[in-house]
Amino acid sequence: MSNQANLLNIAIAILFVIIIDYWFIKNEMIFVLMSSSLLIVLIFMAYKIKKIANQKMLESDVNEMSSVDDELIHSVISELQLFLHQEINIIENEAKRTAGLVEDAVIGISSSFKDLQLLSEEQHQMISVLISHTQTIGDDENSSLEDFVNNSNKTLEDFVSVIINTSKQSLETMSYTDKMVEQFDAIFKLLSQVEGLASQTNLLALNAAIEAARAGEAGRGFAVVANEVRSLSVSSTELNHDIRNEIDNAKEIIAKLRSSVETMASADMTSTLEAKDKMSIMMKHVESVNHDTNTSVEELSLLVPKINDAVGVGIRSLQFEDLTRQSLESLQKNLASVHTISDVLVNFEKTPTITVHQQLLSLKEKCQQVYQDTQIAESSRSVKQLSMEEGEVDLF
Amino acid sequence: MAIHSKVSSDGKQLTIVIEDRFDFSLHQQFRDAYCRNNTSDVTYTLDLSKTEYMDSSALGMILLLKDHVQLYTGQLVISKPNDTVNKILEIAQFHRLMTIEL
Repeated sequence: MSNQANLLNIAIAILFVIIIDYWFIKNEMIFVLMSSSLLIVLIFMAYKIKKIANQKMLESDVNEMSSVDDELIHSVISELQLFLHQEINIIENEAKRTAGLVEDAVIGISSSFKDLQLLSEEQHQMISVLISHTQTIGDDENSSLEDFVNNSNKTLEDFVSVIINTSKQSLETMSYTDKMVEQFDAIFKLLSQVEGLASQTNLLALNAAIEAARAGEAGRGFAVVANEVRSLSVSSTELNHDIRNEIDNAKEIIAKLRSSVETMASADMTSTLEAKDKMSIMMKHVESVNHDTNTSVEELSLLVPKINDAVGVGIRSLQFEDLTRQSLESLQKNLASVHTISDVLVNFEKTPTITVHQQLLSLKEKCQQVYQDTQIAESSRSVKQLSMEEGEVDLF
Repeated sequence: MAIHSKVSSDGKQLTIVIEDRFDFSLHQQFRDAYCRNNTSDVTYTLDLSKTEYMDSSALGMILLLKDHVQLYTGQLVISKPNDTVNKILEIAQFHRLMTIEL
């Protein structure tokens, strides 16, 4: 303001100089100079006045607007508080619901994993029992199907060798029998010689009887002897016949013996051949079944630890429930912080005693305090484990 | 005759050929075919290429022939049996006892 007063004094002074010059000095040079100086001062003054006027207008505008802003801030903050409150409630409910769902799901999955493990072990035992049953034939000694087939094979071989030996022995018997028949034939030859002797003796006795008859009374005794000799030769011939008949009977018996030995020696091998073929097929089958069974048993025994491992991994993975729960809990703490701010906003009422400025300051203070608390809580957070791979967790 | 036997000129080879059925009815002829040969170091060849059927008495006869061969330190070779006859020889485990030429 003093500037304007100085400028005004300067202007008046210049005007006074101009008037003096106009009337007394009448110097044109000074007149022009002073006039232009006055013009400049006036222009400067006008500028200054305008500037002050502008400043004053601005100040009055600011005063008017601050009252309007207070109301707006209150209503916005009230809206904000309502919005925050509603969102926090929704988030809290959802977090609780999630925690509940996860917990239930984890209990279910955990028990189903344990059941799975038990069932797998049970299944393995059952399969083992089943396999041991299929490999045996159900006798007291628990012999395997393979043993049975091997024994049968051995029995068949023994049977074949018995048959062959029987045949061989029978054929030997046969050759002996043939030799015996030859002996019989030799006996027949001898017998016919004996028969020749008998008929010659008979003839001789007949001649002797004739000679005795011719001798008359003197040859009577000799005739008796000749007669006896003749009857002896007849008896001898009869005896020869009897022997021949007996030997013929023996020959008939030998023929019967021959046929029965033939039956004994000649066994048809076709059925044995078929049995042997079947045995071979069965043996191969049993071998392949045993091989397959052993392979399956090995695969199964490898499968059990794999299932256990898989179940272990599954159960270990279930600790995500614990992590999730801790995360949700810390989330709830954070929500509580936001709640605190929201509560401060509730108190942000239009009070005549406290100005908006002070209220904003106290809000800022509260915000800083909550921010620091949250940071401390975050740094000493209970969930340090960020990944599930980092720790082994026993079954729960 | 279902049996033919032939002795080689040097007397070291005796070949017995059996046709059609080799069974008990041949036992006497079969024995006659080798019995009279009492020289040692003879190779006895039993040609079964024409044999269609064989029963256990044939196996017995072969064993008797083997006994005879062993007695005179000769060799026994069974020659060219067909599939069926060869199977019977296998069941009797003759391949362990003598040479079988297929």
